[in-house]
Amino acid sequence: MTKAPTIITGTVGEDSHSIGSRLLSRVLKDRGFNVVELGGLTPAEEFIHVAKETDASAILMSSLYGMAEIDLAGFKDACIEAGLQDVLLYLGGYLMVGRHDWGEAERRFKALGFDRVYPPEVDLDKVMEDLKSDLHQRGKLQ
Amino acid sequence: MDIKARNKKLDEGAFLKEREEVLAMWPTGKEVDLEEAVAFHKKQPDHKNFGKVAARLHQEGKTVVFPRAGTPIIEQEIELNKTLYASGLPLVPVTSDSYCRLLRFDKARQGLEESIRSGQPKLNGFPTVVHGVKNTRKVVEATEAALNQRMTNLDKRLIAEIAFAAGMTAGLQDFMQDFACYEKSSTIGQNIRNCQYVYRLVGYYAERGVTLTIDLDGMMPHSVFPLSVSIAGVIANALVAAEQGVKSIIPWSFMMGYMPQDIAWSRLTRRLAREYLDRFGYKDTALPGQFIAQIPLFPYPQDMGWAFGFLNYSAMVAAMAEAEGVYLRTIDEGAGIPTKEAHAVSYRSAKWIFDVVRQQKIDISRLEEVQTEEKIAEMEVRALLDKIFEVGDGDVAVGLQKAFDSGLMDTPLSSNIHVQGKTLGARDLKGACRYLDFGSLPLPEEAKEYNREKIAEREKAQGKKLDYHTVVEEFWTFSKARLVEP
Repeated sequence: MTKAPTIITGTVGEDSHSIGSRLLSRVLKDRGFNVVELGGLTPAEEFIHVAKETDASAILMSSLYGMAEIDLAGFKDACIEAGLQDVLLYLGGYLMVGRHDWGEAERRFKALGFDRVYPPEVDLDKVMEDLKSDLHQRGKLQ
Repeated sequence: MDIKARNKKLDEGAFLKEREEVLAMWPTGKEVDLEEAVAFHKKQPDHKNFGKVAARLHQEGKTVVFPRAGTPIIEQEIELNKTLYASGLPLVPVTSDSYCRLLRFDKARQGLEESIRSGQPKLNGFPTVVHGVKNTRKVVEATEAALNQRMTNLDKRLIAEIAFAAGMTAGLQDFMQDFACYEKSSTIGQNIRNCQYVYRLVGYYAERGVTLTIDLDGMMPHSVFPLSVSIAGVIANALVAAEQGVKSIIPWSFMMGYMPQDIAWSRLTRRLAREYLDRFGYKDTALPGQFIAQIPLFPYPQDMGWAFGFLNYSAMVAAMAEAEGVYLRTIDEGAGIPTKEAHAVSYRSAKWIFDVVRQQKIDISRLEEVQTEEKIAEMEVRALLDKIFEVGDGDVAVGLQKAFDSGLMDTPLSSNIHVQGKTLGARDLKGACRYLDFGSLPLPEEAKEYNREKIAEREKAQGKKLDYHTVVEEFWTFSKARLVEP
């Protein structure tokens, strides 16, 4: 039997909105994942540091205050530099300030290297299906 | 444990010395000139003083919307305030961006520069510290509404200095909310201590004849949870503010959806805040108004009919609670930042309800359900406060630090690792918030028994045990226009 994959969760930057990531963590635990919960106000570098320490398979990040672009500039490059090129990167929340088209936010953050980008009202069951399928494809889940 | 703050007025010499350090945190701190600020405030008309406007609303028996707003570019901030004022809002917030709230003034400056370059807001609020006194003063001068600086997190000392020196007459300054809802690893003692500085600053203005208002939002319930812990926190916080010389306080309560509780909690907060301030000798600290916040519904209805329904229902409960101010989201919340038209139409709709309901002067407190909820909540709040004073040996600030340390004050899903989080709430059959797990909260047996009965009633009727999964499942229930999952 393989070890349960380790998933890092948390809210990035100077953002205190941690309820969504708390609920997500609970759902992940219920599905048998090994969850490292970083909570709100987590610097981008800390996700990388902890992912490396724990040999994580995925980072599931949230941002609800609209300033994720400033917080996540160069994040994928920093992941690659740290040897985390195979770690899945998911991001969800209100990703830009002001009225904007959701597709625009999704395009921008996928261009920044995120594997999946979700709007704030996403069904967590759907995220679980995506995660299982992505991990399976990468041979990290049987 | 290491006690970081006591409820004692800060010595003036030490306060002034600390001011030098605070004003040196960012170059705009140099623009703060207290004497000039006091003179400026004294020239301002009454309708631009937050506390005076709230007191007038109380006298006239009126309710108004106090929205959420704040955008980084000065000209756009002025325009936004004009729109809100023109929509009938005499009280307007200036919300700080999150970077300034967390002392990342460098990132706030970068975000402001990018905003100005693109003409689009890239920050989630108005970076008061980066703008400084002179530029923020432009907003104050161009706005007819009374402005309130919204600020959260551990260290708001410099934001407060600049906002008040620029001419704003009120500010959110609530260490309970900072500690339990915004901070991650700072202690309640550290949060109290920094707020004491801001209260002392407000007291300093008061000694020179300028009354600034502090509003206390209380700990936001992060899930379904009775409000007694939050109300006890607001009252404890009011005593700490008053000790430093704050002369005008607006307490808040939250709506959680069950009308009799929402009304009872608002009434109770107003009544007990007055009683405790008087009892501890702060009779000259005024409570010009009681504000109430709409339940943070998530997801917000995209459907226009439902959005109006939610808005107007909340407006009606606020009016029946006789709150002077209510935080309401516009019908456009589900779509992002509301347009001018969305602000205007939403507030007109709410105003129609406020005015029609308030004119009828219905004494809703006679309703048996309201009386029952007020009685139970009062019992709980008094027991929590008694315990805080007991463990603090009469010092409310010390008591709060010890109470959180031992779980005597506790709330679910807190952002802070120093909150034990052993408590849990769930709705009963009618949708009222009840304690599902008391944790270590020192609630009276009668109140506990009442909570247990109500939970058991629902479990029996629905044939299932209520647990953490119910809590998670019911996070989204109210958005479907019901309080309880069948």
